[in-house]
Amino acid sequence: MESQRKRRRQLMIRWMLYFLLLLCAAALQTMPGFLTIGSFKPYFILAVCLAVAFQEGEFYGALFGAVGGLLWDYTAGRTFGMLGIGILFLCFLVSVLVQLYLKPSSVNFFLLNLACGWLLLSTDFLFNDLMRGYAHAARRYAVVILPEIVVSSLLAPLILLLVRRIAARLSPEE
Amino acid sequence: MRDFFESRRFKILIVIAVFLAGVMAYAGANGRLTAAPQEVLSVLVEPFQWVAAKVSDGAGSLWHKYTSVDDVMAENEALKEENKTLKEQLVDYDKVVAENDAYKSLEAIQEANPNRTYASAFVIGRDTLDEFGGFTLDVGTAQGVARGDTVVSNDGYLVGIVQEANLTSCKVMTVLHPSFAAASVVSRTRDNGILCGDSAYASQGLCTMTNIARDTMATAGDMVITTGLGGVYPPDIMVGSITELIPESSGKSVVAVVEPGVDIETLTHVFIITDY
Repeated sequence: MESQRKRRRQLMIRWMLYFLLLLCAAALQTMPGFLTIGSFKPYFILAVCLAVAFQEGEFYGALFGAVGGLLWDYTAGRTFGMLGIGILFLCFLVSVLVQLYLKPSSVNFFLLNLACGWLLLSTDFLFNDLMRGYAHAARRYAVVILPEIVVSSLLAPLILLLVRRIAARLSPEE
Repeated sequence: MRDFFESRRFKILIVIAVFLAGVMAYAGANGRLTAAPQEVLSVLVEPFQWVAAKVSDGAGSLWHKYTSVDDVMAENEALKEENKTLKEQLVDYDKVVAENDAYKSLEAIQEANPNRTYASAFVIGRDTLDEFGGFTLDVGTAQGVARGDTVVSNDGYLVGIVQEANLTSCKVMTVLHPSFAAASVVSRTRDNGILCGDSAYASQGLCTMTNIARDTMATAGDMVITTGLGGVYPPDIMVGSITELIPESSGKSVVAVVEPGVDIETLTHVFIITDY
């Protein structure tokens, strides 16, 4: 009984910490001037969602990804649900890939961040820039979006480390 | 894994994805960005953004203090103040001259309205995906801010419009955004046009004024102000100055490249005109 209660408490604290990490990622991502390199700055919400999906499995990871995506929709001023659906799908996919085919290593996490970031931001670019016919869209894609994806992916393993620490400290002893 | 696709959890995920798609379609069809659940998220994340912005401002000002030359800075501030006063006087003078011409009959050109009410707001967030300088402010519907309210800088220059207002925060679309449009006039020559953002110039912090008459006498350096036509933006709000004039491709009109009077990317504080 005691250990069940302890497990439930650990689980609740673990998810609260994940959510707190997500809020911090959103705040850092939108912090004026923080890590701004030229005309772009890195994003962190996607890395947090993918790290949690890496660690917690496809179902809870996808749910967490949906919440993270909705948060990013709010901070970026995108139509509600766009990034939510995208990150839900990506978190599910990443979790399944890690369970079936890939080793859960930092290198793989970096590569998955690269691929997922490219998919997500390219889709966003397609709907919000290219389809609206904005001038110099291709230049912006090459000069802003691609470097943004690379820099954000380089920082992603640090977030995975943090999530793993949280999970290790607050997981039941086996 | 195959069992997962037949399990209840997978069905729950499908339901959530369909729900998000439905709400996205609803929000998009109604011309809104947010829905009720997102407004809840905005209340949760706004305090974090506020703290992060304060930390950023503090760190930035500390660095600035140790690297700037105090004497040069003081002189620079004095010159800016003088320049602002002179430009305001120029707008007033041009207004008095214009009232003697046929422009007096235009409903759009109004006298300065002393009945405006303002809400002070700090910039708390700029997202990486927003490429046209859009930002989040720390005031919302609780402070009387509504969608469509005009946003101006501390010096009274037009910054943008409130695109979405939540309970404790709001999102601003700036003059650099291609979807931004405001009826404007060249202060000296009284040439009317449409002030709008342009993705070709946004990265340089510039916007454009289109549909200016082909035979305009406007030149680089002329001030641009809003006219108030349409009732979306208050009249006589300073926008910026013309940097160059480019004939439009069809040759029927001229496009003026306008440099806003304030650097949109480095704004930390603005005022929102909540009533006028």
